[in-house]
Amino acid sequence: MKLAGTVTLPAPPSEVWSLLTDAPRLSRLLPGCEQLEPDGPDRYKAAVKFGIAAISGKYAGTLEFAEKKPPHSLILKLDGKGLPGFVKGEGRIELTPKGDTTEIAYTGEAHVGGLIASVGQRMLDAAARKIVQQFFDSAKAELESTKGAAAEPNSPVKAHRKGN
Amino acid sequence: MTTRYIGKPLKRKEDPRLIQGISHYVDDLNLAGMHYAAFLRSPHAHANIRSVDLSKARHASGVVLALSGADIDGAIQPVPCAAQIPDMKSAARPVLARDRVRFVGEAVAVVVASDRYAARDALDLIEVDYEPLTPIVNPEKAIAKGATPLHAGHKDNVAFKWELEGGDLKAAFKSADKVIRQRLVNQRLIPVPIETRGVIADYQPGEGQLTVWSATQIPHLLRTQIASMLNFPETLVRVVAPEVGGGFGSKLNVYPEEALVAYLAIQLGKPVKWSESRRENFQATIHGRDQIDDVEVAVKRDGSILGLRCHVIADLGAYYQLLTPLIPTLTGLMMTGCYKIPAARMEITGVFTNKMATDAYRGAGRPEATYLIERVMDLVAAELKKDPVEVRRKNFPQPNDFPYATPTGLIYDSGDYEKALDMALKVADYKKLRQEQAKLRKEGRYMGIGVSTYVEICGMGPSSAMPAGGWESATVRVEPTGRVSVMTGSSPHGQGQETTFAQMGADVLGIDPSQFQVVHGDTSIVPYGIGTFGSRATAVGGTAVYKSLLKVKEKLAHIAAHLVGSDPERMVFADGKISAKESPKKSVAFGQAVSAAYVAKTLPADMEPGLEATTFFEPSNFTYPFGTHICVVEIDREIGDVKLVRYVAVDDCGNVLNPLLVEGQVQGGIVQSVGQALFEEAVYDEQGQLITGELMDYALPHASDLCWIETARTVTPTPVNPLGVKGVGEAGTIGATPALAGAVADALAPFGVHHVDMPFKREKIWQLMRKSSGRVQ
Amino acid sequence: MIPASFEYHAPKTLDEALRLVERHGDEAKLLAGGHSLLPLMKLRLAAPRYVIDIGHLRGMSYIREENGQIAIGALTTHSEIEHSELLAAKCPLLPQTAAQIGDVQVRNRGTIGGSLAHADPGGDYPAAILALDAEIIAANTSGTRTIPARDFFVDMLTTQLHPGEILTQIRIAPRPPQSGTAYEKLHQPASGFAIVGVAANVLLGNGRKAIERAAIGITGLAAKAFRAEAVERALNGKTISDKVIEDASRNAAQGVEPLSDLHASGEYRREMARVFTRRAIARAIEAARGVSRGGV
Ligand SMILES: Cc1cc2nc3c(=O)[nH]c(=O)nc-3n(C[C@H](O)[C@H](O)[C@H](O)COP(=O)(O)OP(=O)(O)OC[C@H]3O[C@@H](n4cnc5c(N)ncnc54)[C@H](O)[C@@H]3O)c2cc1C
Repeated sequence: MKLAGTVTLPAPPSEVWSLLTDAPRLSRLLPGCEQLEPDGPDRYKAAVKFGIAAISGKYAGTLEFAEKKPPHSLILKLDGKGLPGFVKGEGRIELTPKGDTTEIAYTGEAHVGGLIASVGQRMLDAAARKIVQQFFDSAKAELESTKGAAAEPNSPVKAHRKGN
Repeated sequence: MTTRYIGKPLKRKEDPRLIQGISHYVDDLNLAGMHYAAFLRSPHAHANIRSVDLSKARHASGVVLALSGADIDGAIQPVPCAAQIPDMKSAARPVLARDRVRFVGEAVAVVVASDRYAARDALDLIEVDYEPLTPIVNPEKAIAKGATPLHAGHKDNVAFKWELEGGDLKAAFKSADKVIRQRLVNQRLIPVPIETRGVIADYQPGEGQLTVWSATQIPHLLRTQIASMLNFPETLVRVVAPEVGGGFGSKLNVYPEEALVAYLAIQLGKPVKWSESRRENFQATIHGRDQIDDVEVAVKRDGSILGLRCHVIADLGAYYQLLTPLIPTLTGLMMTGCYKIPAARMEITGVFTNKMATDAYRGAGRPEATYLIERVMDLVAAELKKDPVEVRRKNFPQPNDFPYATPTGLIYDSGDYEKALDMALKVADYKKLRQEQAKLRKEGRYMGIGVSTYVEICGMGPSSAMPAGGWESATVRVEPTGRVSVMTGSSPHGQGQETTFAQMGADVLGIDPSQFQVVHGDTSIVPYGIGTFGSRATAVGGTAVYKSLLKVKEKLAHIAAHLVGSDPERMVFADGKISAKESPKKSVAFGQAVSAAYVAKTLPADMEPGLEATTFFEPSNFTYPFGTHICVVEIDREIGDVKLVRYVAVDDCGNVLNPLLVEGQVQGGIVQSVGQALFEEAVYDEQGQLITGELMDYALPHASDLCWIETARTVTPTPVNPLGVKGVGEAGTIGATPALAGAVADALAPFGVHHVDMPFKREKIWQLMRKSSGRVQ
Repeated sequence: MIPASFEYHAPKTLDEALRLVERHGDEAKLLAGGHSLLPLMKLRLAAPRYVIDIGHLRGMSYIREENGQIAIGALTTHSEIEHSELLAAKCPLLPQTAAQIGDVQVRNRGTIGGSLAHADPGGDYPAAILALDAEIIAANTSGTRTIPARDFFVDMLTTQLHPGEILTQIRIAPRPPQSGTAYEKLHQPASGFAIVGVAANVLLGNGRKAIERAAIGITGLAAKAFRAEAVERALNGKTISDKVIEDASRNAAQGVEPLSDLHASGEYRREMARVFTRRAIARAIEAARGVSRGGV
């Protein structure tokens, strides 16, 4: 499963960089993240509860940063497993200044195994896109709130959370 | 013998109880104190097992036992493979993985608990530490240089190489006007019987008796194998196959769960049941097909085929099951189809990949062969701009060529291929179809006509050519009441032999079919047997029954002649009476003669009491049914949807015991082919995950996807058995895929397409039309 | 396949059911026909702690006229909708849609409320409900609210319903004369769900020569069903011609990110949305022209 896209975040690269690489703040961006604890340099132990509607599962694993080039690019590695299966993914994130905002270009690939791979096939792509979207929507919200500026209130993320 | 019942469309004796749901499949059986097993299966296609921690599972409520591969080390032999190919490498499937898992779904641990829920819940408490390895999924990559071998001690992933050559191939290709090459792929399929597998085992320590109920096609072979896998005395093992809800070859096997559940019952001294879920069935019960064929054909301009060469890559999966390596070799043997091709060569490379094993699936190697040669005939016709019917006709052996020896070393028993072809052309009105096609093409509608003339090998048969015996057994016992028990080593699971064997018995003994009870699938009642597969149950099993019937008939003739004072040779069996030809007055009721055999006061001198006979019949050759299928499709230009418009099947399975049952087998077989042609495909992703993991994603044909199947028959009896029957269980599946593929290719001809690999999914067809839409002719 | 353990409740009244879902919130799942929830539970993709079976609630399965509208109870099965004479006469789009859901067994058990609440991206009703501008009534312990179909679907498997709410009714305005509807679907060959399903509802004017107003609902194409507004805009007020329909249909996938799976790539889905939109519009127009009231 491959993912790629671009988003613009309302802060300069240096701020975006510190948001993305600061574990406590990062944990607030990761959808369903229940725990993110250091486990060596640039490496964290993570516990995530993720789901869509009734379909949900808990995953435990690691999150790692590699090839950090502040504030230009980094590689994010995810490795998690839970009862519904396992996920292993790697994504490259590039930050480019655009005025006082940052354009983020991401490309990534994830391998999914176990139950979710064998029966969740038709939902996987859309689910992955949704996770990424939630992540960046939260990042936007976080950056805006730290700026103290009035954030756009109609982020679709909020609508999701209202749903069942 | 008068044939009052043989050849008549009697309704199946089996159906009332099946339709009412009042008989028993394995999962319907419950024993007192029964416990339940559940298997933890690998989510990885390829990984080392660092550790398996069962401690939490063992302490879960209701759990009585939890075992990993290490716990049973050496206690149970790996899954047997009966097929042997010279120099094949070993790749036995352990009943539980020990150090490494090699496909998604491979069992890693087993839990036994007091109910199914506790057993299933406990699986979630098992912690397995896997070290993932790179999965090898694509068979061509698996045998490319540098690919890591799946199995320790192997230097590569080539399981075996198998070759077969006959005739002067060099000369054939040298004198050819044209050589046509094509790659053909038979995708991987999942057999999907309605009833998944299931096992119950019960061990009585006092008697030392082990009883195993299993949804199997081969109870007797399973008994031997369970005994040897567990090192347990075979005399104390009883295997029962109760109602079996379809198999299509997937239950012609010995599985880890069968031996393990028996082992667990012995360990616990309690009955243990395991019922396979559909997901497990998809992952860990054998798959079918999965062949890549690179074929080359040498032809003359007039359409005669001079030579055929093929290299097959057979994706075997990670381990051998019972017959895994044998299946592609059947493709080799049948590669020249129903044509006189002077020279042929087959090379097969069997390949290990991180997938479930392939094995016998309805047709087993022969659908691949028919597909290969029939696609070749279509390609030849397209290349030479000839009618596909005429290219076929040109290469048929003639009726007086039989027995016909193929360059692959087989001897076809009997056949009249042109007769079946002509009948099919007539039923379909082929000429008119072609006219209609031309007309529709002008309107921008894409109709296609496919023709397949097939021959197949079945009635398996003789032992010299079989991995584990090619005979079948039958005991006929006329009970003192005059009713007859027929104990057959065949193991019907939907084929209807309870009906056909009764029909046969009724005609031989001159009594009503209702007087017969056909008993099968219980090793404690039925003498030793081989089982039901390879369309053999009537040709081999039926002949064994027939011979036993003749033996008791002969004895009855002697008894009756003795009673009425006539000659045994002159006794006639009809209407429940045994009478002397010369005088209707010299007659006894059937029951009276039977009674005499048991009361034993009025028997001829030197005659043993009782009325029972057993036969182990072994045929001298296989049988070779044949036929012609014609299929008409129309393709929706915008969607790529392939719609079946007409389907005509003319099959020749020799003599017919019950036309209704033959019709059912033919129709069902064709529908299964429609599945392969249009919908079915077991898809593993590049990580070896089976992503068609459920029926929500693995598409089977629905009634609404079909058209009416028009059937007809020619009858060319076989000389191989006294009944003249050939077998029809797989013919539909063997004959149909090429007709469907031919029709689709024919419909797409205006787009410059001559071959498409199955399954003909809409998007694939749509893409093809789109890509070449500029070139519509 | 065996679900994880759960506590089972079978309330006898809607009030009782509402109190239960209020109490258990997120941890509870309603069970209607069970044909979406139970497969998930058997696979353990879903493991609710409480299952509240509303399947037995009397009085939530009906199709009737109420204040000039058609009201359908949430527990009405697909098969009841398929065979309803009232709907055949006043809202043929729903029976037409219902008839194309899954197979007979699914239609005998599955409910319209369950289908809408589940919001499967390949579910059929959402397209029809959108094209009909239906209203969805949801209740909780403090009352009911009305949600327009257009606002109801939020994302894949996600709707406007809050935990603690039960969908009780669907309301539809009867179709005006000179209107016609059609549902055209490309089914996924294994499950029967829609790869693309298009519901068209057109109102004709100008002596049935022009389209006065069109409403097009599309399911299967994207993570949620949606109204194809670009198609509607291209149709509204136009004189009917093959070209108008064809051109309008080209906008079917405008602005949506198509789903992509084993059975259909995004590219193919997009293209099928065009084809099926065209077919649905054409058939809806035929229906509007063929008969002014009743029948298809
Ligand atoms: C083999 C198969 C094929 C299918 N094919 C199709 C198809 O082609 N097209 C199609 O549209 N569907 C298809 N379906 C799905 C089917 O239509 C389901 O019945 C439907 O989606 C859900 O309805 P249900 O009553 O079964 O709901 P359930 O499974 O009982 O519930 C589904 C979800 O909705 C919630 N829910 C149910 N009722 C309410 C309510 N009143 N208020 C609030 N929440 C509620 C439940 O809590 C649950 O989360 C198929 C299903 C199967 C098993």
